[in-house]
Amino acid sequence: MTTAATIEAILAAQGIALSPGRAERLARAQQALLDASGADPLRDALAFDADPAGFLAVMQKCK
Amino acid sequence: MSDPALLSLAQAREVPPNELLSACRARIELWQPRINAFIDLDPAPGFGIPLAHKDMFYRAGRISTCGSKIRRDWVAGETSAALEKLDAAGFADLGRLNMSEFAYGPTGHNEHYGDCRNPWNPDYITGGSSSGSAAAVAARLVFGALGSDTGGSVRVPAAACGVTGLKTTWGRVPGRGAMPLSPSLDTIGPLARSAEDCGLLLQAITGEGYLPGKENVRIAVSSGWIEENAHPEVAAAVLAAVKTLDKHPIEVEAPDFDALSAHCLVLMQAEASAQHAKWMRERPGDYSSAVRARLEAGYAIPASYYLEVLRLRGACLERFCSQTLGAADLYLLPAIAIRLPTREATGPKGGDEMPRLLADLSRLTRWVNYLGVPALALPCGFDSRGLPLSLQLVGRPFSEALLLAAGRAFQRATSWHERVPPG
Repeated sequence: MTTAATIEAILAAQGIALSPGRAERLARAQQALLDASGADPLRDALAFDADPAGFLAVMQKCK
Repeated sequence: MSDPALLSLAQAREVPPNELLSACRARIELWQPRINAFIDLDPAPGFGIPLAHKDMFYRAGRISTCGSKIRRDWVAGETSAALEKLDAAGFADLGRLNMSEFAYGPTGHNEHYGDCRNPWNPDYITGGSSSGSAAAVAARLVFGALGSDTGGSVRVPAAACGVTGLKTTWGRVPGRGAMPLSPSLDTIGPLARSAEDCGLLLQAITGEGYLPGKENVRIAVSSGWIEENAHPEVAAAVLAAVKTLDKHPIEVEAPDFDALSAHCLVLMQAEASAQHAKWMRERPGDYSSAVRARLEAGYAIPASYYLEVLRLRGACLERFCSQTLGAADLYLLPAIAIRLPTREATGPKGGDEMPRLLADLSRLTRWVNYLGVPALALPCGFDSRGLPLSLQLVGRPFSEALLLAAGRAFQRATSWHERVPPG
């Protein structure tokens, strides 16, 4: 679970000043986003060799 | 027709450019105070059919604000590849159009240059981020406009303002000289009065012909999902439109829009925040609170997760092409599933409902950007408040010709795209 303290620390490490009171809302929103993305069943079936740039070849194949 | 500004782009080619320019300028004078579509008018727009573009397409020596305070006085050092092509094809550029700040917002609000307002009813949003492009085309101030689409920024405003908007295949139109938001998702596309006009503009930009194409297309649709999830007025208009294109559409299970949208947001947030890191460290107070909040979110995306979502992208595209499209040519769905919200409900003073309204606006567009495929938004009716309704056609990679041909066939059978907001 992403917490407000974690979010504050991650952003501070990157030199980003959070708006006052933002950390808690941001933590909830980010957790919801990662949960929604993680719900895709393809994620568990992703091949070990899948390449971030492999999308380009799939685009050509799916024309 | 007495006002040449009301012609289609194809018809306008037969009219002397000075007549077109005068007609468009007269309409701008009338409409600009009402809808705030332009950030600035160009005193020397060139000679040709009048267009204007979202203020993120650079022209050497000219200011390009990108809708922001940070770039209020920034002068571009180069002209964008897309504008160079349109200049060479004989189009005039009347000026710089309003947009959401840094193209990072779905409504058309802009606290630095004033909100762009919907020509059909100024109390309602134009959609964003290509707000000025859609409003200017809808009010017939120009014959077409370029927009950018990273999560729906061509299609949402096109739908909200009742014009036709094309989101191109990722990589089809060169992005050189256009402001980046999220390079893995960014696309450039035209907004115009019809699919045919979009085709003419795309042809000018890419040098490839898109019309005429195959018009008898097989449509896949998820009627049950639309009936369950879209506003009843949206669902009725979109499902009626299906039959115009294909008497026997193929019923398919809906893609998981929400998971695909989340994948899109992971990429968009991480990339946009990286793009803006220097300014977010040095001058965060110069962003609107809404854009600053969106940018803050991206710094919390784990790099490993970002890469996992990129690695997943090809598999998701294959699944869409084989399972959703299958034997069909195009997938049809609403461009926006809800009825258009007001500017007040989605602005800085919006209530508790605002986050949900903003998410709903691009719920059916973001997933398309993640897959990188092209899509066309086109008008298919009006709701009981007199605001436009729009459908969306989604195709395989590089199927713009098919999309535009289907759009043209739909618009030959209907007249929604010919309606003009009352002046």
